[in-house]
Amino acid sequence: MESRLLMTLQVAVVGTQKLGAVPLGTRVIALVGSGHFEGPRLRGKVLPGSGDWTLLRGDGVLELDLRLTLETDDGALIYMTSFGLRHGPPEVIAAIARGASVDPSTYYFRTTPRFETGNPRYAFLNRLLAVSSGDRRPEGPIYTIHEIL
Amino acid sequence: MRWRPLMTLRLSTAPTQNLGAGPHGTRVTFPITGGSFEGDRLRGKVLPGGDDWTTKRPDGVVELDLRITLETDDGALIYMTFQGLRDDGAPGAPYFRTAPRFETAEPKYSFLNRLLAVGKGEIRADGPVHVIEELL
Repeated sequence: MESRLLMTLQVAVVGTQKLGAVPLGTRVIALVGSGHFEGPRLRGKVLPGSGDWTLLRGDGVLELDLRLTLETDDGALIYMTSFGLRHGPPEVIAAIARGASVDPSTYYFRTTPRFETGNPRYAFLNRLLAVSSGDRRPEGPIYTIHEIL
Repeated sequence: MRWRPLMTLRLSTAPTQNLGAGPHGTRVTFPITGGSFEGDRLRGKVLPGGDDWTTKRPDGVVELDLRITLETDDGALIYMTFQGLRDDGAPGAPYFRTAPRFETAEPKYSFLNRLLAVGKGEIRADGPVHVIEELL
């Protein structure tokens, strides 16, 4: 599969809401307060009000459901959603939970972002699929997002 | 990004159901009557009863929403879905890409529960073909 870099996205998690055991698993909502993104064709910041509605499944896989509003440096708003999966050896996942810095190659953290915008300058985002590779840093995740060509 | 081939999926479809212009666009469903899939780690057939609920958006892009059941040659059932885009007007060549997901209870194939994948689609005379790769 051919792909090319779309952007690097870093978000700051400012809090969590732990809903506990829901019918499909353990639900934790990670509140995103800010962030920024940068790539060859777009750059800007993440608006507050975004978040990741995570669900820890019974098989130990964490399902991610990230929803963000991006604002480009020239004022366009972009709605981004990103379904993903995160899993790995128990000791690695425990280290992430403790807030340690962990080598992202030791666990699986991948997502499939989609974009919506009404701004013609960025309409190409409405017409592509993307994948990302994540790195769960203590201060918040960093996603390297590639467009599928 | 690193990739690993997962399977080539061939689908056969019944005549489409043209539902017309709905609130999200023009809805056309493609009933799936069968098919086959083959890769290094799994192979088998597509069971009848699935469908692809497509919506043509006002900007010309077709959104895909497929649900099918796969049966491996050793009897495991796998639920497969994908969302995707088909843009026949994309510069150069049509853009037809999907993001499949899988669910199975069969331990031999539980690796499918834990991966994301991307498919490259093509409409051939005998039906759609998707070359699907696992995102490593």
